[in-house]
Amino acid sequence: MRHSTLLMTAALSAALLCGCSTPARRIDPTTQGLTTVRDVNTRDWNDVAARAVNSLIASGALVRPDGRKAIVMINQVKNRTGSRARTQILTNKLRQAMLASGKALTTTAVGGRGPEDNATRQVRELENDDLFNQATVQKRGTVISPDLSLSGEIINQSTRAGRTTENTFYFHVVLTDLATGLATWEDNFEITKQETVNIFGY
Amino acid sequence: MKRHFLTTAAALLLALGAVGCQDTVNTVENRDPAMTPDSVDTRAFSTDSFCRDRLALISMRRSTTPGGVMMVQAQIRSERYGFWSELWSGMTGTNPYHVLYRFDWLDGSGMAVSTAANAWQPLIFAPGEVKFIQGVAPNARCRDFVLSVREDPSAR
Repeated sequence: MRHSTLLMTAALSAALLCGCSTPARRIDPTTQGLTTVRDVNTRDWNDVAARAVNSLIASGALVRPDGRKAIVMINQVKNRTGSRARTQILTNKLRQAMLASGKALTTTAVGGRGPEDNATRQVRELENDDLFNQATVQKRGTVISPDLSLSGEIINQSTRAGRTTENTFYFHVVLTDLATGLATWEDNFEITKQETVNIFGY
Repeated sequence: MKRHFLTTAAALLLALGAVGCQDTVNTVENRDPAMTPDSVDTRAFSTDSFCRDRLALISMRRSTTPGGVMMVQAQIRSERYGFWSELWSGMTGTNPYHVLYRFDWLDGSGMAVSTAANAWQPLIFAPGEVKFIQGVAPNARCRDFVLSVREDPSAR
Protein backbone atom coordinates (compact mmCIF):
# COMPACT_ATOMS: atom_id res chain seq x y z
CA MET A 1 0.00 0.00 0.00
CA ARG A 2 2.78 2.38 1.02
CA HIS A 3 4.70 1.33 -2.11
CA SER A 4 1.85 2.28 -4.42
CA THR A 5 1.43 5.65 -2.66
CA LEU A 6 5.12 6.39 -3.19
CA LEU A 7 4.88 5.41 -6.87
CA MET A 8 1.81 7.60 -7.30
CA THR A 9 3.57 10.58 -5.68
CA ALA A 10 6.63 10.10 -7.89
CA ALA A 11 4.46 9.89 -11.02
CA LEU A 12 2.54 13.03 -10.04
CA SER A 13 5.79 14.91 -9.35
CA ALA A 14 7.20 13.85 -12.72
CA ALA A 15 4.00 14.96 -14.46
CA LEU A 16 4.16 18.35 -12.70
CA LEU A 17 7.81 18.81 -13.70
CA CYS A 18 6.99 18.00 -17.34
CA GLY A 19 4.12 20.48 -17.17
CA CYS A 20 6.58 23.30 -16.34
CA SER A 21 8.24 23.21 -19.77
CA THR A 22 7.23 25.75 -22.41
CA PRO A 23 7.22 24.84 -26.09
CA ALA A 24 9.19 27.04 -28.49
CA ARG A 25 7.16 30.00 -29.70
CA ARG A 26 7.70 33.37 -31.30
CA ILE A 27 7.63 36.33 -28.92
CA ASP A 28 7.61 40.12 -29.01
CA PRO A 29 11.17 40.91 -27.85
CA THR A 30 10.12 44.36 -26.67
CA THR A 31 7.80 43.09 -23.99
CA GLN A 32 8.56 39.40 -23.62
CA GLY A 33 12.31 39.28 -24.32
CA LEU A 34 14.72 38.35 -21.56
CA THR A 35 16.43 41.10 -19.60
CA THR A 36 19.73 40.14 -18.01
CA VAL A 37 22.11 42.40 -16.15
CA ARG A 38 25.35 41.11 -17.65
CA ASP A 39 24.43 41.21 -21.35
CA VAL A 40 23.10 43.59 -23.97
CA ASN A 41 19.69 42.08 -24.78
CA THR A 42 17.54 42.40 -27.89
CA ARG A 43 15.42 45.22 -26.46
CA ASP A 44 18.60 47.10 -25.50
CA TRP A 45 19.89 46.88 -29.07
CA ASN A 46 16.53 48.10 -30.39
CA ASP A 47 16.48 50.99 -27.94
CA VAL A 48 20.07 52.10 -28.63
CA ALA A 49 19.66 51.71 -32.40
CA ALA A 50 16.49 53.81 -32.38
CA ARG A 51 18.14 56.55 -30.33
CA ALA A 52 21.28 56.50 -32.51
CA VAL A 53 19.27 56.63 -35.75
CA ASN A 54 17.20 59.57 -34.47
CA SER A 55 20.31 61.43 -33.35
CA LEU A 56 22.19 60.80 -36.61
CA ILE A 57 19.32 61.82 -38.91
CA ALA A 58 18.45 64.86 -36.78
CA SER A 59 22.09 66.07 -36.83
CA GLY A 60 22.15 66.55 -40.60
CA ALA A 61 25.71 65.14 -40.63
CA LEU A 62 24.95 63.07 -43.73
CA VAL A 63 24.03 66.13 -45.81
CA ARG A 64 26.81 67.24 -48.17
CA PRO A 65 27.08 70.86 -49.33
CA ASP A 66 27.38 69.74 -52.99
CA GLY A 67 24.09 67.80 -52.77
CA ARG A 68 25.73 64.45 -53.63
CA LYS A 69 24.89 61.43 -51.50
CA ALA A 70 27.59 60.75 -48.91
CA ILE A 71 29.39 57.40 -49.18
CA VAL A 72 29.77 55.80 -45.76
CA MET A 73 32.19 53.06 -44.77
CA ILE A 74 31.12 50.85 -41.88
CA ASN A 75 34.09 50.58 -39.57
CA GLN A 76 34.26 48.62 -36.32
CA VAL A 77 32.18 49.16 -33.21
CA LYS A 78 34.55 47.66 -30.66
CA ASN A 79 33.11 45.58 -27.89
CA ARG A 80 35.10 46.34 -24.76
CA THR A 81 32.62 44.70 -22.40
CA GLY A 82 33.04 41.29 -20.86
CA SER A 83 29.94 40.02 -22.64
CA ARG A 84 29.72 38.65 -26.17
CA ALA A 85 27.80 41.59 -27.64
CA ARG A 86 27.29 41.38 -31.42
CA THR A 87 27.96 44.96 -32.42
CA GLN A 88 26.91 44.31 -36.02
CA ILE A 89 23.31 44.46 -34.78
CA LEU A 90 23.82 48.18 -34.12
CA THR A 91 25.82 48.95 -37.27
CA ASN A 92 23.37 47.07 -39.49
CA LYS A 93 20.46 49.12 -38.16
CA LEU A 94 22.42 52.35 -38.60
CA ARG A 95 23.37 51.54 -42.19
CA GLN A 96 19.74 50.64 -42.95
CA ALA A 97 18.68 54.04 -41.57
CA MET A 98 21.35 55.88 -43.56
CA LEU A 99 20.21 54.23 -46.78
CA ALA A 100 16.55 54.95 -45.97
CA SER A 101 17.37 58.61 -45.33
CA GLY A 102 18.18 59.12 -49.01
CA LYS A 103 21.20 61.19 -47.98
CA ALA A 104 23.85 58.47 -47.94
CA LEU A 105 24.97 55.19 -49.47
CA THR A 106 27.13 52.63 -47.72
CA THR A 107 30.06 50.91 -49.36
CA THR A 108 30.79 47.22 -48.92
CA ALA A 109 34.08 47.42 -50.81
CA VAL A 110 35.98 48.57 -47.71
CA GLY A 111 35.34 47.98 -44.04
CA GLY A 112 36.98 47.98 -40.65
CA ARG A 113 37.97 44.33 -40.97
CA GLY A 114 38.56 44.37 -44.71
CA PRO A 115 35.85 44.50 -47.36
CA GLU A 116 32.42 43.29 -46.28
CA ASP A 117 31.87 41.98 -49.79
CA ASN A 118 35.06 40.85 -51.51
CA ALA A 119 33.27 40.54 -54.87
CA THR A 120 34.16 44.11 -55.89
CA ARG A 121 37.84 43.10 -55.97
CA GLN A 122 37.25 39.53 -57.15
CA VAL A 123 35.38 40.50 -60.33
CA ARG A 124 38.28 42.75 -61.40
CA GLU A 125 40.62 39.81 -61.24
CA LEU A 126 38.70 38.34 -64.20
CA GLU A 127 40.43 40.81 -66.53
CA ASN A 128 43.06 38.18 -67.42
CA ASP A 129 40.62 35.29 -67.70
CA ASP A 130 39.89 34.46 -71.33
CA LEU A 131 36.76 32.59 -70.21
CA PHE A 132 34.99 35.95 -69.80
CA ASN A 133 33.96 38.52 -72.36
CA GLN A 134 36.38 41.30 -71.39
CA ALA A 135 33.87 43.98 -72.41
CA THR A 136 31.63 42.82 -69.53
CA VAL A 137 34.36 42.69 -66.88
CA GLN A 138 34.22 45.57 -64.42
CA LYS A 139 36.96 48.12 -65.04
CA ARG A 140 39.50 49.31 -62.50
CA GLY A 141 39.23 52.86 -61.23
CA THR A 142 35.42 52.87 -61.02
CA VAL A 143 34.87 51.98 -57.34
CA ILE A 144 33.86 55.00 -55.28
CA SER A 145 35.90 55.78 -52.19
CA PRO A 146 34.03 56.60 -48.95
CA ASP A 147 33.55 60.13 -47.61
CA LEU A 148 32.59 59.12 -44.08
CA SER A 149 33.37 56.32 -41.66
CA LEU A 150 31.06 55.01 -38.95
CA SER A 151 32.78 53.56 -35.88
CA GLY A 152 32.35 53.30 -32.13
CA GLU A 153 32.80 51.27 -29.03
CA ILE A 154 30.83 49.75 -26.19
CA ILE A 155 32.19 49.75 -22.67
CA ASN A 156 30.55 48.82 -19.40
CA GLN A 157 30.93 49.47 -15.71
CA SER A 158 29.67 47.01 -13.17
CA THR A 159 29.05 47.74 -9.50
CA ARG A 160 27.95 45.45 -6.71
CA ALA A 161 26.61 46.34 -3.29
CA GLY A 162 25.43 43.45 -1.12
CA ARG A 163 23.00 41.34 -3.14
CA THR A 164 22.45 44.07 -5.76
CA THR A 165 24.39 44.18 -9.02
CA GLU A 166 24.27 47.14 -11.37
CA ASN A 167 25.70 47.20 -14.87
CA THR A 168 25.84 50.22 -17.17
CA PHE A 169 26.63 49.86 -20.86
CA TYR A 170 27.99 52.96 -22.61
CA PHE A 171 27.58 53.05 -26.38
CA HIS A 172 29.69 55.63 -28.23
CA VAL A 173 29.16 56.06 -31.96
CA VAL A 174 31.16 58.40 -34.22
CA LEU A 175 30.88 59.50 -37.85
CA THR A 176 34.26 60.69 -39.16
CA ASP A 177 34.81 62.87 -42.21
CA LEU A 178 37.60 60.98 -43.98
CA ALA A 179 38.81 64.12 -45.81
CA THR A 180 39.64 65.91 -42.58
CA GLY A 181 39.67 63.19 -39.94
CA LEU A 182 37.19 65.22 -37.90
CA ALA A 183 34.11 63.75 -36.25
CA THR A 184 31.02 65.26 -37.88
CA TRP A 185 28.63 63.49 -35.50
CA GLU A 186 29.03 61.56 -32.31
CA ASP A 187 26.74 60.57 -29.51
CA ASN A 188 26.64 58.49 -26.35
CA PHE A 189 23.85 56.24 -25.18
CA GLU A 190 23.63 54.58 -21.80
CA ILE A 191 21.66 51.61 -20.57
CA THR A 192 21.72 50.76 -16.88
CA LYS A 193 20.32 47.53 -15.46
CA GLN A 194 20.06 46.44 -11.86
CA GLU A 195 19.32 43.12 -10.24
CA THR A 196 18.90 42.03 -6.63
CA VAL A 197 19.21 38.32 -5.90
CA ASN A 198 17.72 36.55 -2.91
CA ILE A 199 19.77 35.21 -0.03
CA PHE A 200 20.30 31.91 -1.87
CA GLY A 201 21.98 33.80 -4.74
CA TYR A 202 19.41 33.46 -7.54
CA MET B 1 -12.61 52.42 21.20
CA LYS B 2 -9.05 53.37 22.09
CA ARG B 3 -7.67 50.35 20.24
CA HIS B 4 -9.68 51.24 17.16
CA PHE B 5 -8.36 54.79 17.26
CA LEU B 6 -4.77 53.59 17.62
CA THR B 7 -5.14 51.16 14.68
CA THR B 8 -6.55 53.89 12.46
CA ALA B 9 -3.81 56.31 13.49
CA ALA B 10 -1.12 53.69 12.83
CA ALA B 11 -2.58 52.88 9.39
CA LEU B 12 -2.73 56.57 8.55
CA LEU B 13 0.86 57.07 9.68
CA LEU B 14 1.98 54.10 7.59
CA ALA B 15 0.17 55.46 4.55
CA LEU B 16 1.70 58.89 5.11
CA GLY B 17 5.09 57.27 5.50
CA ALA B 18 4.65 55.36 2.25
CA VAL B 19 3.65 58.52 0.43
CA GLY B 20 6.42 60.49 2.08
CA CYS B 21 8.93 58.07 0.59
CA GLN B 22 7.87 58.98 -2.97
CA ASP B 23 10.16 61.26 -4.89
CA THR B 24 8.04 63.58 -6.95
CA VAL B 25 9.43 66.00 -9.49
CA ASN B 26 8.79 69.74 -9.21
CA THR B 27 9.29 72.04 -12.19
CA VAL B 28 9.58 75.75 -12.85
CA GLU B 29 9.74 77.57 -16.17
CA ASN B 30 9.60 81.12 -17.48
CA ARG B 31 6.08 82.52 -17.57
CA ASP B 32 6.46 84.21 -20.98
CA PRO B 33 8.31 81.78 -23.26
CA ALA B 34 10.36 83.33 -26.06
CA MET B 35 10.02 80.26 -28.28
CA THR B 36 7.63 80.16 -31.23
CA PRO B 37 6.88 76.46 -31.61
CA ASP B 38 5.00 74.90 -34.47
CA SER B 39 2.36 73.00 -32.52
CA VAL B 40 0.68 69.90 -33.88
CA ASP B 41 -3.06 69.54 -33.52
CA THR B 42 -3.39 66.02 -32.15
CA ARG B 43 -6.13 63.42 -32.12
CA ALA B 44 -5.80 60.61 -29.62
CA PHE B 45 -7.23 57.10 -29.60
CA SER B 46 -6.84 55.54 -26.18
CA THR B 47 -7.59 51.93 -25.27
CA ASP B 48 -5.89 51.92 -21.87
CA SER B 49 -7.70 54.16 -19.40
CA PHE B 50 -4.97 53.64 -16.79
CA CYS B 51 -2.23 54.84 -19.13
CA ARG B 52 -4.45 57.71 -20.32
CA ASP B 53 -5.06 58.94 -16.79
CA ARG B 54 -1.48 58.52 -15.67
CA LEU B 55 0.18 60.49 -18.46
CA ALA B 56 -0.77 63.90 -19.81
CA LEU B 57 0.28 65.15 -23.22
CA ILE B 58 1.23 68.77 -22.57
CA SER B 59 2.39 69.69 -26.06
CA MET B 60 3.24 68.19 -29.43
CA ARG B 61 5.57 70.24 -31.61
CA ARG B 62 7.07 69.90 -35.05
CA SER B 63 10.23 71.20 -36.69
CA THR B 64 12.55 70.38 -39.59
CA THR B 65 16.12 69.07 -39.23
CA PRO B 66 19.11 70.51 -41.19
CA GLY B 67 18.66 67.54 -43.56
CA GLY B 68 15.07 68.58 -44.31
CA VAL B 69 13.26 65.79 -42.46
CA MET B 70 10.40 66.25 -40.04
CA MET B 71 11.09 65.99 -36.33
CA VAL B 72 8.36 65.92 -33.69
CA GLN B 73 8.53 66.30 -29.96
CA ALA B 74 5.96 65.28 -27.38
CA GLN B 75 6.03 66.84 -23.92
CA ILE B 76 4.53 64.34 -21.48
CA ARG B 77 3.95 64.64 -17.75
CA SER B 78 3.35 61.84 -15.28
CA GLU B 79 0.06 62.52 -13.49
CA ARG B 80 0.78 59.95 -10.81
CA TYR B 81 1.26 62.38 -7.97
CA GLY B 82 -0.93 63.28 -5.04
CA PHE B 83 -1.82 61.21 -1.99
CA TRP B 84 -3.92 58.39 -3.47
CA SER B 85 -1.91 58.00 -6.70
CA GLU B 86 1.34 57.81 -4.81
CA LEU B 87 -0.09 55.47 -2.20
CA TRP B 88 -1.43 53.12 -4.87
CA SER B 89 1.71 53.17 -7.04
CA GLY B 90 3.83 52.60 -3.95
CA MET B 91 1.70 49.60 -2.90
CA THR B 92 1.64 48.06 -6.38
CA GLY B 93 5.34 48.61 -7.00
CA THR B 94 4.72 50.73 -10.09
CA ASN B 95 6.73 53.72 -9.02
CA PRO B 96 8.55 54.85 -11.10
CA TYR B 97 6.13 54.37 -13.97
CA HIS B 98 7.54 52.35 -16.90
CA VAL B 99 6.08 52.93 -20.35
CA LEU B 100 7.06 52.16 -23.91
CA TYR B 101 6.66 54.50 -26.87
CA ARG B 102 7.06 54.23 -30.62
CA PHE B 103 6.87 56.60 -33.57
CA ASP B 104 5.47 55.30 -36.85
CA TRP B 105 5.99 57.43 -39.95
CA LEU B 106 3.71 57.83 -42.95
CA ASP B 107 4.59 59.17 -46.38
CA GLY B 108 2.48 61.54 -48.49
CA SER B 109 0.24 58.64 -49.58
CA GLY B 110 -0.35 57.54 -46.00
CA MET B 111 1.83 54.46 -46.37
CA ALA B 112 3.92 53.43 -43.35
CA VAL B 113 7.66 53.88 -43.85
CA SER B 114 9.87 51.20 -42.31
CA THR B 115 12.74 52.42 -40.17
CA ALA B 116 15.20 50.97 -37.70
CA ALA B 117 14.00 53.59 -35.22
CA ASN B 118 10.38 52.47 -34.93
CA ALA B 119 10.99 49.93 -32.19
CA TRP B 120 9.27 50.26 -28.81
CA GLN B 121 11.51 52.37 -26.62
CA PRO B 122 11.40 52.41 -22.82
CA LEU B 123 10.72 55.52 -20.79
CA ILE B 124 10.66 55.81 -16.99
CA PHE B 125 8.65 58.52 -15.22
CA ALA B 126 8.97 59.64 -11.62
CA PRO B 127 5.69 61.07 -10.24
CA GLY B 128 5.09 64.51 -11.73
CA GLU B 129 8.08 64.27 -14.04
CA VAL B 130 7.95 65.98 -17.43
CA LYS B 131 9.76 64.29 -20.30
CA PHE B 132 10.33 65.30 -23.91
CA ILE B 133 10.36 62.47 -26.40
CA GLN B 134 11.52 63.12 -29.92
CA GLY B 135 11.01 61.25 -33.13
CA VAL B 136 12.82 61.91 -36.39
CA ALA B 137 11.32 60.89 -39.72
CA PRO B 138 13.45 58.38 -41.61
CA ASN B 139 13.46 60.55 -44.73
CA ALA B 140 12.11 63.75 -46.24
CA ARG B 141 9.16 61.96 -47.89
CA CYS B 142 7.45 61.42 -44.52
CA ARG B 143 4.55 63.79 -43.89
CA ASP B 144 2.69 62.37 -40.88
CA PHE B 145 3.30 60.28 -37.81
CA VAL B 146 1.58 58.19 -35.16
CA LEU B 147 2.92 58.15 -31.59
CA SER B 148 1.97 55.02 -29.62
CA VAL B 149 2.38 54.76 -25.85
CA ARG B 150 1.75 51.72 -23.67
CA GLU B 151 2.59 50.49 -20.20
CA ASP B 152 5.68 48.29 -20.06
CA PRO B 153 4.42 44.84 -19.04
CA SER B 154 7.94 43.58 -18.35
CA ALA B 155 8.35 46.18 -15.58
CA ARG B 156 5.35 45.06 -13.52
